[in-house]
Amino acid sequence: MKNAMPLQSACKEFEEDLVLYYYGETSEDERRRVGQHLFGCLRCQGFLGDLQRLLPQMARTEELPQSFWDNYYRETVAKLAQQDERKHWWRSLIPQMKIWMVPALGTVAMTVLVIGLLFGKGNLSSFTLRPAEKIPHEILADENQLQFFESMDLLESLSKLQSLDEQKPEAVNTQSSRMRFQSGTV
Amino acid sequence: MTNPEELRDEQLVELCRQGERHYFDVLVRRYMEKAFRIAFDFTRNTETAKDLSQDAFLRAFANIKQFDGRSSFYTWFYRIVVNLCLDHARRQQRVGWESLDRITEEPGEHRELADSTFAPDQQAIASEAKRRVDQTLETMPNKQRTAFLLRNHQGLSIADVAKVMKTTEGTVRVYLHRAVAALRQSLLELV
Repeated sequence: MKNAMPLQSACKEFEEDLVLYYYGETSEDERRRVGQHLFGCLRCQGFLGDLQRLLPQMARTEELPQSFWDNYYRETVAKLAQQDERKHWWRSLIPQMKIWMVPALGTVAMTVLVIGLLFGKGNLSSFTLRPAEKIPHEILADENQLQFFESMDLLESLSKLQSLDEQKPEAVNTQSSRMRFQSGTV
Repeated sequence: MTNPEELRDEQLVELCRQGERHYFDVLVRRYMEKAFRIAFDFTRNTETAKDLSQDAFLRAFANIKQFDGRSSFYTWFYRIVVNLCLDHARRQQRVGWESLDRITEEPGEHRELADSTFAPDQQAIASEAKRRVDQTLETMPNKQRTAFLLRNHQGLSIADVAKVMKTTEGTVRVYLHRAVAALRQSLLELV
């Protein structure tokens, strides 16, 4: 790129092959074929010359001092250590933990587990399939009340029957006098 | 005991997977320059290239257990670097294209062109040529640019470029040819 020389154009059918030829990415057969063509084609020779002149310059990079790389390495390793620490943050709690806290935390965990098992989802099926003898007292009381009301209904029915019975003798008397009248005994 | 510097990439990765974090430092030393150069080729900015390449190491370490060993460590790692660079480029594009004025105002990033052994007119032409190359690379489709930078600047084989880009070698050849054609075209207008 330091010398601005006119760029050569290649034969269209060889352009892609010449790029790969420059990079050494052609098969043996292709290399031979391109080589034979190059031998007799000045345009393609010029094109290849341009690639050889321009492409390495495009890849040229600034040399950086060793101190840059030393800093780079130190920083990266420090960042990695930081990331690793963040990942295992809970490990930092272990040294701060007192010895008596271990059984205390264990007990708390067990209590939470037991409460969870008793009132949690897992207990739902046993709750619905509870046998009759395990019905809570509150529900049993309700049942007694229902029976009481049922018996109240019965009592009401009894009083109705009784009142009917009281009306019955009159009806029976009326019926027997009608029969006696029909037979001419009255 | 074996010197960690003598261990192969795959051995170092295996030790890291077993929780031996400090072995990753050897991989950092081994690939820091390559990672930085790739990031610099994409960004043309020293600080950004440093941040992106360091970020690539952090991500590689965080995901080391996901590295299945089907490809080599460096193609897997280069893929992380390239992806971060492309993400960064996309973010930058959203913010807005860097103006040409700003590029010329930052001669520090193009110091390699300012060669005092050449006459001022030749230096001016070289500087303009470099500016056009950078501009063409910046506006080039990402896949073409990636193929070109990895092959031309980093010296990866087309087979390795294909692995990094997760595509076929034939596709990389096409990208490479198109990139070279575009760069050549940008310089044709100069002379």
